[in-house]
Amino acid sequence: MSRLLVEALAVAAKDLRTEFRTRVALNALGLFALTVLAAVSYTVGPYRITAEDRPFLLAVLLWIVIFFAALAGLDRSFVKEEESHTAPLLRLAASPTAVWLGKLGFNLVLIYFLMAILVPLYCILMGYKIQLVGGFALILVSGGYALAVITTIVAAIIARALTRGALFSVLSLPLLLPLLIFLIQGTAGAADGTAETVTSTLRAVLSMGGIMTIVSAMLFPVVWAD
Amino acid sequence: MVSCGAMADGVRISFTDVAKRYDLRVVFRSVSGEAVPGEVLVITGPNGSGKSTLLAILCGLLRPTRGMVCHVLNGDETAREEWRNHLGVVAPAMSVYEELDAMENLRFFARVRGMNDADQRCHECLELVGLETDRRTPVRGYSTGMAQRLKIAQALLHDPEVLFLDEPGSNLDPAGKGWLGEYVHGLAAVGKTVVLATNDRDEMKWGQNHVTLAG
Repeated sequence: MSRLLVEALAVAAKDLRTEFRTRVALNALGLFALTVLAAVSYTVGPYRITAEDRPFLLAVLLWIVIFFAALAGLDRSFVKEEESHTAPLLRLAASPTAVWLGKLGFNLVLIYFLMAILVPLYCILMGYKIQLVGGFALILVSGGYALAVITTIVAAIIARALTRGALFSVLSLPLLLPLLIFLIQGTAGAADGTAETVTSTLRAVLSMGGIMTIVSAMLFPVVWAD
Repeated sequence: MVSCGAMADGVRISFTDVAKRYDLRVVFRSVSGEAVPGEVLVITGPNGSGKSTLLAILCGLLRPTRGMVCHVLNGDETAREEWRNHLGVVAPAMSVYEELDAMENLRFFARVRGMNDADQRCHECLELVGLETDRRTPVRGYSTGMAQRLKIAQALLHDPEVLFLDEPGSNLDPAGKGWLGEYVHGLAAVGKTVVLATNDRDEMKWGQNHVTLAG
């Protein structure tokens, strides 16, 4: 295994271990997601939306829950390093690329864990029927990746700022909004069985994820060092 | 590009006309000096004079507002990415992970430093600082002195060529301070470079060269 991969895995494993012991990010993500899911399923429920509007409107609600839950918790890994004064030693010990990859890996685990619990619950509680299950799964995986890439680099940028909480949302939303729109369209397509919509969405989301990965890999060493 | 000069072995750090300013606040103006292998460079000065800031600049964590810092390893100027492999730092503003225990902390730092099969070295370092029996206690449960010992173990883990110590004796008991003083002398004796920021009269005596910052 290459040294970079070993270092990145060490960073991700350390973050997962500390998160497992404190559950700060998990609680933030989980509480937000479950509270909104409970509120939506209680007030809207499976029968208040007409069958015709159901694929699109339920896709909107699903991604709103996922996005805002992610915004509530995915900045923690970098912010915590700064707040607990562990960032300087990490800066001196690990290569910037390994730190970025490790933090990205940690955020991926969090977002996929959230999706694994939230999405089936949402589909059951809201009676959301998906025609193209495979396409829907690919949209979730690619959407989760793009979401993690964007929130990881934004979290790194804001971690050293004083007004972190507000900045994270302000900087993330313009980057996440196009992604949100694509994912809603793709999910609606998967729900009503339109394969072309799913394919074009996957293309767009993977492109966004790829572009953000390249930009982040180039930008992170500068953000992290200075 | 300005040449940093050359020297045969070990790490030499030379800094010339270094200044640091945060917005309108000037921390220090025009500080120069040199840390050479086999010697301890002591940085002193009153509170707020910028000792920790200068240390952070010398170890590469901060960029100076003005001036030049050269890190020379075995005669060659060292790139920033390579430099981090050769230094260990102990400072009050740098913490280890409180949620992990001592062994987990050292294992983590060993892995990100690319050290293979480092368990033996982790045990040696914990033994060295007197934490071997407490290696499974989460750092959150440590006293400030024990946490300081773990930070010292972390800094020594990869046997660095240069050691930066910012008030290293803070929170250590007299026996711990005595041990650290002897250890630092031992490091200098084998050709390591040590940079020490302190106002402690006993620690100041560890050094051969002094840089005094004005308040």
